[in-house]
Amino acid sequence: MSERRPYVRPMPRDWWARWPFRHYTVRELSGVTIAIYAAVLLSGLVALLQGPAAWDAWRGWLASPASLVLHGALLIAMLWHVRTWFQILPKTMPKLILGGTPVPQRTITLIGTSVAVICSSALVAFVLWRPF
Amino acid sequence: MPHAPEKRSNAPIFWLLFGAGGTLSALFGVGLILVTGFLAPQGIGIGPDALSYENALAFTQNWLGKAAIWAVISLFFWHAAERLYLTLKDMHVFSDLGRRLLTYGVAAVVTVATAGLLLAIGF
Amino acid sequence: MTERADKTIELRVLRYNPVTDEKPHHQSFTVPYTSDMSVLQGLQWIKDTIDGSLTYRWSCRMAICGSCGMMINAEPKLACHTLLRDLAPGPVTVEPLNHFPIERDLVVTVDDFVKKIESVTPWLIPKHPKPVSEGPYNQTPAQMAAYENFSACINCMLCYAACPQYGENPKFIGPAAMAILQRYDGDSRDGGSALRIDAVHGEDGVWGCTAVGACSDVCPKAVDPMHAVNQNKMNTALDYFLRFLKKRDTK
Ligand code: SF4
Ligand code: FES
Repeated sequence: MSERRPYVRPMPRDWWARWPFRHYTVRELSGVTIAIYAAVLLSGLVALLQGPAAWDAWRGWLASPASLVLHGALLIAMLWHVRTWFQILPKTMPKLILGGTPVPQRTITLIGTSVAVICSSALVAFVLWRPF
Repeated sequence: MPHAPEKRSNAPIFWLLFGAGGTLSALFGVGLILVTGFLAPQGIGIGPDALSYENALAFTQNWLGKAAIWAVISLFFWHAAERLYLTLKDMHVFSDLGRRLLTYGVAAVVTVATAGLLLAIGF
Repeated sequence: MTERADKTIELRVLRYNPVTDEKPHHQSFTVPYTSDMSVLQGLQWIKDTIDGSLTYRWSCRMAICGSCGMMINAEPKLACHTLLRDLAPGPVTVEPLNHFPIERDLVVTVDDFVKKIESVTPWLIPKHPKPVSEGPYNQTPAQMAAYENFSACINCMLCYAACPQYGENPKFIGPAAMAILQRYDGDSRDGGSALRIDAVHGEDGVWGCTAVGACSDVCPKAVDPMHAVNQNKMNTALDYFLRFLKKRDTK
């Protein structure tokens, strides 16, 4: 006679740092950097409220090499966010059926990414060509 | 009855805020960082006084400017909050309450504080 | 012409006998193979010639019954659908599916998985019930396309073995059950949506998912369970906010 004694294997606590989940963890953390950028804007808002002197100090920091490096890193993380966000978009929306067949998920990703490129470019163009 | 209905989760609130912040940042984030991190402070393509105190104040005193600043700062924080909350959970860091305070709590405080700052700056 | 099995490959198989073993351990076998042999056939060679006690599940040998799921080199795979020649020169690690209790050797406990499938009301609840005499419920190809891939699930559980959130929390509804839920929810003839949403609107329902996406990567049938889970986050969120506006049929 055989007896039942199911063996439960423990889940490794650091699975998120291991293959194949490292990619997922990096994706999530790239999203977290978005708050760091928002914090930079928030600090500017505080400086603005404090008056011209504080504002100019904040502006000075914004032009500093340290700020450039930070914004470079934030930009890379943001680009990764854009890429992964639209990779997941087709998984979050209902299946699109056009002319009797499902729209390929790659197409949805491509359209989403293109819209993002247009939006961000439009923002930059607006700032560059709008007379202040 | 084929199943016992599970207790409804409040996750939709945070998930929708996460989604709004994720979409807003995905669409405009790169443009925003280029403008406020590089073009404006370095004076590339924009006049040196684009970021002057008067200009910044005028932008912030405009109700449309206020709305944009509020949406960007608070939704970006809500987006990061959801992701950090889940990642900290994956990493088994802090208690659940600690994680919630550190993520959703901070986002809520930032949302209110930003609104307060914008009101204090006036119209 | 029959190919001679003159190449060999090492299979490192996780063994567990509940009667004699405190915990599982690996055992190595050197298996002669031909270019058309699957991992399942390798296991069958071991069982036939070396150790008749080696225990594993299989039936169809053609990737349709869903019985032979196991971790092959740490990836959830169908053993009958994975060729030894693609794993050469080896060694190849063969273990029972992750996240499930091991009954014996490569056999895992499926009770939890079966209960989960039962919990999502996996059958059609006609929107407008009618007697057989009134004929069939018709459906256009476009309406069928809306759920077709979700109907391809073979219950192999590879997606559960791939999902770290299921590994962390065995109460999480998991990928395949959601794919099966969506197979019926997405069917134009079905009217059981409200019932199914109630089964998965909790922390252990769709909200247990963090969009890792490994489930869809490993699915041998391109079911895309990640899509099923995540589109139901939106459905559940809408239900969360609009539930007070909706008239609910509570029978
Ligand atoms: S969804 Fe795919 S991986 Fe999961 S049980 Fe069904 S067929 Fe297997
Ligand atoms: S034996 Fe049926 S799926 Fe492999």
